[in-house]
Amino acid sequence: MPSSLVISAWSAISPYGVGNAPLREGLAEGRDAIAALDHDTYPVPFGQAALVPDFSAAKYVGKKGTRTMDRVTALAVTAVGGLVGAIAGELQARPEQTALVLGTGSGSVQSIMDFTKDSLSGERPYHVEPARFPNTVMNRAAGQSAIWHRIKGPNTTVAGGALTGLLALSYALRLHRGGHCTRVLCGAAEEFSTQRAWLEWHGRAEEERRTPLGEGAAVFLVEPAEDATAAGRTVLARIAGTRFRAYREPDGIRDALTACVRSTLDAAGVAPGSVRFVAPLGGGGKPAAEEEQAVTDALPGADPAWIRLREHLGDTSAAATALQLAAVLAAAGGQGLGPGEAALVTGVEPDGQVGCAVFTGV
Amino acid sequence: MVHDDEQQPRRVVITGLGTVTSIGLGAPAFLDGLKSGRSGVKPLTAFDTTGFAHANACEVADFAPGDWIHHVDPRELGRATQFSVAAANMAVADAGLTARELRERRVLVSVGTTDAESRDLDTLVGTQLAEGPERLSPGVARRAQAGRLSSGIVRELGLVDVEALTIPTACAAGNYAIGSGFDAIRYGEVEAALCGGADAVCRKTFTGFYRLGTIAPEVCQPFDIDRKGILTGEGAGVLLLESLESALARGARIYAEVLGYGLNCDAHHPVAPDQDSLARCMEVAHRNAGVAQEDIDFISAHGTGTRANDVTEAGAIRQVFDTPPPTVSIKSMIGHSMGAASALAAAACALALTEGFIPPTVNHRETDPECGLDCVPNEARPAELNVVQNNALAFAGNNAVLILGRMNRTRRTARPEPLKEAV
Repeated sequence: MPSSLVISAWSAISPYGVGNAPLREGLAEGRDAIAALDHDTYPVPFGQAALVPDFSAAKYVGKKGTRTMDRVTALAVTAVGGLVGAIAGELQARPEQTALVLGTGSGSVQSIMDFTKDSLSGERPYHVEPARFPNTVMNRAAGQSAIWHRIKGPNTTVAGGALTGLLALSYALRLHRGGHCTRVLCGAAEEFSTQRAWLEWHGRAEEERRTPLGEGAAVFLVEPAEDATAAGRTVLARIAGTRFRAYREPDGIRDALTACVRSTLDAAGVAPGSVRFVAPLGGGGKPAAEEEQAVTDALPGADPAWIRLREHLGDTSAAATALQLAAVLAAAGGQGLGPGEAALVTGVEPDGQVGCAVFTGV
Repeated sequence: MVHDDEQQPRRVVITGLGTVTSIGLGAPAFLDGLKSGRSGVKPLTAFDTTGFAHANACEVADFAPGDWIHHVDPRELGRATQFSVAAANMAVADAGLTARELRERRVLVSVGTTDAESRDLDTLVGTQLAEGPERLSPGVARRAQAGRLSSGIVRELGLVDVEALTIPTACAAGNYAIGSGFDAIRYGEVEAALCGGADAVCRKTFTGFYRLGTIAPEVCQPFDIDRKGILTGEGAGVLLLESLESALARGARIYAEVLGYGLNCDAHHPVAPDQDSLARCMEVAHRNAGVAQEDIDFISAHGTGTRANDVTEAGAIRQVFDTPPPTVSIKSMIGHSMGAASALAAAACALALTEGFIPPTVNHRETDPECGLDCVPNEARPAELNVVQNNALAFAGNNAVLILGRMNRTRRTARPEPLKEAV
């Protein structure tokens, strides 16, 4: 369904570094952020990973109140922190009108499994640290971000594998349409951890184990264009719409995704030829090829620049599609998408869904 | 096509219920349990409870996945996903629909959860401690993902034109998921929504609540002066929502109308609820639903049975209501089923509206004067109901309040005003 909302600010943390500038520069240089893993810190079967360099809660969130803060929460609090400055006045005056919608994989599997481990291996089964219990609940990152930055509107956590960032955006549009908030801070976060690496390793097909894991977070300020303009914020992109479909066999990915892209473009009245940027998920051999073919099918006459983030940042899992959108905005530059320009972000979830989001200039 | 912002919002109705609970599988059994005040409490069997001084829970004891799941191999699904898929199948059948009919519609699937497949993660930790991380089961690792709770429903029903999201907003997640389904139908985005919540009892969460001193030794007694805490529970509640127009066109039975909902965040404390903020959430919900506080005929409370929750929630209710209506907690019967809790409570509200009764708060001896509410002690009460309210609270101060109404064809629905900044 077409929306009237725009993105007027964004905040990213990627394996290139904390902030929008490192992502912009890393992408412009086409640099790889994948490096050999220190196996003393991370005893995992992967040889490489794309970690956010020198990231810790203490360094980026502060020493106070972060002793038990896990990595995905720290990534979320930091990424959201990169946006709150843009709406400081609004947050101060009416904190209940700003919503926070944050995508996650399964929260922090490291926090969850460490907690169970303490119960199973301690002297008593209840010898666990109570202050760490909230980390094991999957709304922790969104909730703690709200507490840290005093955001009192709807606070929702969304999960949907590789499509998480797109699903969070879709949820955010619906939430706004329903009159539940004035603006939404919307995005997704994923951490690298030893435990996630082992789960991914065992859950993957042999050939997929060659893709290193990445991590990061991206959050967007989503609001009506007139609000952005009134507040002096540059409209970077209008959110034309999102769409999702299911497929049963990998052979069905292409048709399902083509249908998604076509219907999103049609519903918003966007000409396929106007698409200037495409940021696909690019996960796996066959699904990635099907994904690119689907986009090509849906965009006759377009000659877009393809932004293939996964080659540089690894598999950022739940954060992937949100980082893809951040990469589009990074590529579009400080004034955002131009008049008559459009951008497309796509994803394929191995569990049987595809999705896309279309953005236009204003 | 240009989106018509002035398009009249659709009225949204509940036409199918799927319930997996410790007091009965399927809506008829659940209804019977609610009416008779059945309790699902038993000694916990999900894991070895050696070393805990007490370990009662409200588990779903007689659930054979193969009886309820027909197209996906249940072994590919964790227990919470099995519950959600089973409840979705029940809801579709209860609505008088088939999977084939649903495949032709545009659908939203939204499933709330607290722990998703943390039960599987517990199992994997056990393997890891005993045999090392190299020995984890690939099948269990693959299925232990939150997204599966909703995508499992898509696979089972073979849905095509569908958006599937899991909403892990903890113990308020069911109401969040129903709210999103409501908005999706209300504004014409989809033609049907399967939404609710699911969770399975797990060591991780039992241990956390036990360590906080909030697990009741025997039974759950919301609003009672002697209440001692929660009992962990499990199950799933899935509601089938569609537009009133669609329900009337196919002659469907309508349980209730979804009138609206409200969400907010305390942004204050990771685990302690905030009375003022919860009161504001109820007011937001009333405004969104176009009802006034005096319209509410009963409240299905979050009512966990902890000292802190019940007194805070009762305080918030007294703050909003001139005369608080009867306020019950079905957690007294089915325990705290976490992400399923508010979805099952919403199903209970829908059944109450249809059948004309208020579910009881069982295990009740003496109402805590600090709560000071009529909790409909121990026995269901016949009542003519028009509008009911379903409260849900979660860790991190995530509040969600849902408003349901008895089906009334002539009701005029208020279009909620979009929030505007005070200039």
